[in-house]
Amino acid sequence: MSRMIARFRDGRSFDVTLVTLALAYLFVFAALPMLYTILMSVQKIDMFTLGTLARPFVGLRNYIHVLSMPVAWRVAENTAIFVILSVVFQLVIGLALAIYFRQDFPGAATLRGLFLAGWVMPALVVGAIWRWLLAGDFGVVNYLLGALGLIKGHIFWIADPHVALYSLVIANVWLGIPFNMLLLAVGLAAIPGDVYEAAALDGAGPIQRFLCVTLPMMRATLGAVLSLSIIFTLQQYDLVAALTQGGPSNASNVAQYWSWQLSFETYDIAGGSVVAVFMILVVILVALLYVRSTRLEQSA
Amino acid sequence: MSVMKRRLLLGFGLVITGIYLFPLYWMYVSALKSSRDLFTYPPRFLPHHLVWNVGRVFVQHEMATYLTNSLLIAAGVTIICVVLGTGCARVLARYRNRWVDVALFAVLMMQVLPSSLMVTPLFVGFSEVGLLQSPRLAVILAQVAKVMPFYIVLTRASLGQIPQELEHAAMVDGASRIGAFFRIVLPLARNGILVTGILVFLQSFGEYVYARSMISEDDLQTATVGLSAFLGPNTSDWNGMMTYSAIYVTPILLLFVLLQRRIVSGLTAGALK
Repeated sequence: MSRMIARFRDGRSFDVTLVTLALAYLFVFAALPMLYTILMSVQKIDMFTLGTLARPFVGLRNYIHVLSMPVAWRVAENTAIFVILSVVFQLVIGLALAIYFRQDFPGAATLRGLFLAGWVMPALVVGAIWRWLLAGDFGVVNYLLGALGLIKGHIFWIADPHVALYSLVIANVWLGIPFNMLLLAVGLAAIPGDVYEAAALDGAGPIQRFLCVTLPMMRATLGAVLSLSIIFTLQQYDLVAALTQGGPSNASNVAQYWSWQLSFETYDIAGGSVVAVFMILVVILVALLYVRSTRLEQSA
Repeated sequence: MSVMKRRLLLGFGLVITGIYLFPLYWMYVSALKSSRDLFTYPPRFLPHHLVWNVGRVFVQHEMATYLTNSLLIAAGVTIICVVLGTGCARVLARYRNRWVDVALFAVLMMQVLPSSLMVTPLFVGFSEVGLLQSPRLAVILAQVAKVMPFYIVLTRASLGQIPQELEHAAMVDGASRIGAFFRIVLPLARNGILVTGILVFLQSFGEYVYARSMISEDDLQTATVGLSAFLGPNTSDWNGMMTYSAIYVTPILLLFVLLQRRIVSGLTAGALK
């Protein structure tokens, strides 16, 4: 017994214990629920079978049921638009800001740090603020766009089914810019300065330097940032809840919100699990791409 | 570079930052405007008649209860996360072999699972084992699983900077491995743990989907759920909503301003490794 205690104190067992505790926790509260989702997606779940694990097995019937809903394709399309637009704008604006604040002027680092204020706020509060900024009648965004001559009259960002999804994109881009900018700034800082000097000596202009030095040297960082922002966008539930609740009539519904709605608003837990299974597959695929690009970076 | 050009760069930088942070300014201004000012079009960019609604909104919307619940949940999540995650992060920072890669990969995969999807199996599972009887604990347990991977990855980066030689030296001097961990590694890593712990705390302080789905009693609800009362399809109490938001986020923003430099360096160290 005392030898066991000594081994625990001095040997590797202490280290193994430390890792095992955390991993066991994650296994119970993250991995098991994930597997449980897959199980529930092939079971018949109703009020009577909710309390037990042994529910009737229904094969792929839940999948057929979900995929045959007309909403499903609308949601899939919305999710794709939401992710692609969010990620593209976050990346482009984030990169532009990272390059701008990399220049040498007083206060550059402090100003860049201030952007993270957006990132530390609860997403639901950010959604509430954008709800007010984008309000149709008295919203300041409509006023500013009108004053700049970009629109005539009012856009009803939340109520108009043609634009509701874009109000989510706008708020999500705002939320994602700081993180993108920060990670891209780290990538930029890692490019050695003499590469630019050499390119300048060879007669490359600023645009050529950006295209032929910055972008290729940032490839791994860009890959990592891209996959991380896809993941964060696919996790975004709070903004949807604050801004549009998926409405009007699912015009802005996205898969991560729809899955929750199926489970908690229509009590179709099997349906919610089916959507979750699809989403988890996508998220894990993107995470694999992320791991690949961070590997690339370490070997580069 | 000429002084003139640097000043221009600074000026334009200030403008960009101002545009980005405008939503925050608008929240505070709208919280301080009277409803008459709020519903004028074109909107006034400076408040005309200042109105102080903080006390009224705080009491009317039972923010004391909501904020206490949010604090309790965030504190619980942070404590469990730091206690379980720090040791794991240390070991994962210390060794480099295939098993560590596998463990890190598993941790990362747990990080990417969206809460709004995980809440379905967690809710059903928790109700089966009776955990929903203590809903705040249920939210804490679920949220720890969400943020611990993030904590482990970031803490691992800062713990990796502590030279192993220090630990070896302590062990040569007779300290046990546990002793070296508690007396050498932890004090040196204090700053990294503190910053990451605060980030975990802030994330949990703003948690929404678990609280909304698992807590049914209003007395036990969190500040996010309290805010969502304003967010129905026919919102019109903009002043109340912005006042509530301002009360809620001001402590967060103060903490952020105080720790900004450390948060930035902590995040950049861990995020890409």
